[in-house]
Amino acid sequence: MNEEQHIGIELKDIVKSYRMGGEMVTTLRGISLHVYSGEFLAIVGPSGSGKSTLMNIIGCLDTPSSGSYTIDGQDTSRLSDNRLAEIRNHKIGFIFQSFHLLTQLTALENVELPLVYRGLSSRQRRERAVTALTRMGLQDRMHHKPKELSGGQQQRVAIARALAGNPTILLADEPTGALDTKTGREVLHIFDELHKAGHTIVLITHDPEVAERAESVVRITDGVLTEERRGRHALQSRRPDGLEEHSL
Amino acid sequence: MHFSQGVRMAWKSILSNKMRTLLTMLGIVIGVSSVITLVAMGRGSSAQVKEQMSSLGTNLLSVTITGRGAVTTLSVDEAEAFGTIDGVIGVSPVVSGNVSAKYATTNQNVAVEGVTASYETVREYAMQSGRFISSIDVEYLQKVAVLGSTTATDLFGTDDPVGQSVSLNGIRYKVVGLLAEKGSSLGGSNDEKILIPISAAQRLLQSKGVRSVYIQAESEEQLDLVQAYVENDLAKKFRETTTNGSSSSYRVFNQADLVDTVASVSSTLAVTLSGIACISLLVGGIGVMNIMLVSVTERTREIGIRKSVGAKRRDIMLQFLLEALVISGWSGAFGVGISYAIGPIVESATGTPILMSWDIILLSFAFSFSIGIIFGIFPASKASRLKPVDALRYD
Repeated sequence: MNEEQHIGIELKDIVKSYRMGGEMVTTLRGISLHVYSGEFLAIVGPSGSGKSTLMNIIGCLDTPSSGSYTIDGQDTSRLSDNRLAEIRNHKIGFIFQSFHLLTQLTALENVELPLVYRGLSSRQRRERAVTALTRMGLQDRMHHKPKELSGGQQQRVAIARALAGNPTILLADEPTGALDTKTGREVLHIFDELHKAGHTIVLITHDPEVAERAESVVRITDGVLTEERRGRHALQSRRPDGLEEHSL
Repeated sequence: MHFSQGVRMAWKSILSNKMRTLLTMLGIVIGVSSVITLVAMGRGSSAQVKEQMSSLGTNLLSVTITGRGAVTTLSVDEAEAFGTIDGVIGVSPVVSGNVSAKYATTNQNVAVEGVTASYETVREYAMQSGRFISSIDVEYLQKVAVLGSTTATDLFGTDDPVGQSVSLNGIRYKVVGLLAEKGSSLGGSNDEKILIPISAAQRLLQSKGVRSVYIQAESEEQLDLVQAYVENDLAKKFRETTTNGSSSSYRVFNQADLVDTVASVSSTLAVTLSGIACISLLVGGIGVMNIMLVSVTERTREIGIRKSVGAKRRDIMLQFLLEALVISGWSGAFGVGISYAIGPIVESATGTPILMSWDIILLSFAFSFSIGIIFGIFPASKASRLKPVDALRYD
């Protein structure tokens, strides 16, 4: 283990099973994974492999049936709904495939939303939201509603929203899935930039081309990790060995 | 999340669906305004009736003699004897009948009441002009008359009757006074009659007996006691056992009882009407709940998004509850405004006075607000309980 690298998130023996029509379905069968602070990790796998479930657990939207999940040294498996909401608010920035912006709010208000729930004053919220939107190059589109923005712009608003809360990790679920190739590439370029700026990014995709961008790649098949390639640092070259982590 | 931020958010979301909000509000607006208006109408008419009744004197007993066997009336002295009962401050015996009254070429059948000087104070009449019948008039059988305002107009038209003469059954009476208008009450008009001294009336009507006596008590509280004494006296006179309090030879009316009865009838009416209005308010509340439930389902994804960026259960709950409260609060305010606007219209259309009172306005506003809370809590808690994963996946 790289001791000099501060551990971002850590999953240990995560199992997730639920009842579906009277039958127990197990989607994750013992996943263990480290994501280091500052790492750009892609989780790849075909649909039905359990990567969405994994992302929900990493994003604290769902809790594992067994195993432990630690974020910033805090174990989340025994936390109340309210504490999980706080973790989502402070430590996780979501970027969804279908953007998930609130249609009746302007871009600025959408970006402010996590800060509203954090209880920041409106001046602070505005300041941070404007900064995040400016960083995404949307300073001229702040008062537009999602409907008035293109797909790429909407996804940039969503990224700004994820960034505004200054989270521990950015969690992106197929961020290019709803975009055309060109815009998709632009969005991926943004992820590169964010990675260079030191953000921890976990990206979930089924597209190998997208995964290529990431520093590290893990593959999930039928609820288990089947392949792991880890890079060391954002600015160093990728090391396709994955020796420092336990793989199956 | 701050409260004011929550209100602003609720307001925004309400505005984003104007038509639906308007229809939801309509139920409560109609409910609140009809409760306020109906209660105001009820109170107004109840106050009006009370005022009319009490202008007749709430401390008044009226005794009507129907008689039994050979004795069908009281003598004037017997009637005046009621004045010795404790608490009685005035007695006014009345001899009444109908005569033909004539002035110039106008001929009319009029009710004549033979009265004493105390009639004016006991029945609370005011003079419009001239004077009332005095004790000397009674003592010396003066042929003087005081006219009720309607009778005066009927006979004299626009002329001033005071100082003129009117002929009653062919006997000339000098008009010395004109009564102020009193309006009609239960028991007929108070303005269509001619008053003459009781002694003159006995001769004119050829009847010595007094058939009705008005007794004025010192206060409303003493009325029941005085009534008991009077009934006791009458029972002795007519040698009748009044086992169940009623008698065939005489009847004693208590004005205060009458006022209470009429007032209770009108307040029962008011309560019934506002009860119906409250039901409409309740139905309006169910409308709010219905819309909020639809809105929860419709906005499942929104709830999921809000939860994913860190909204707690409390935040979602507060958001939906505030929306319900803002809707019902504004509806309540509109309802109050509308009831103020239609109050004068109702008043002029129905003739019923409107008596707006702050307590009922506050009450119905509070009621509509609590309807917002009660019917908002269920949808709000339903929304807050949604799991973020399921909510996000919802389409």
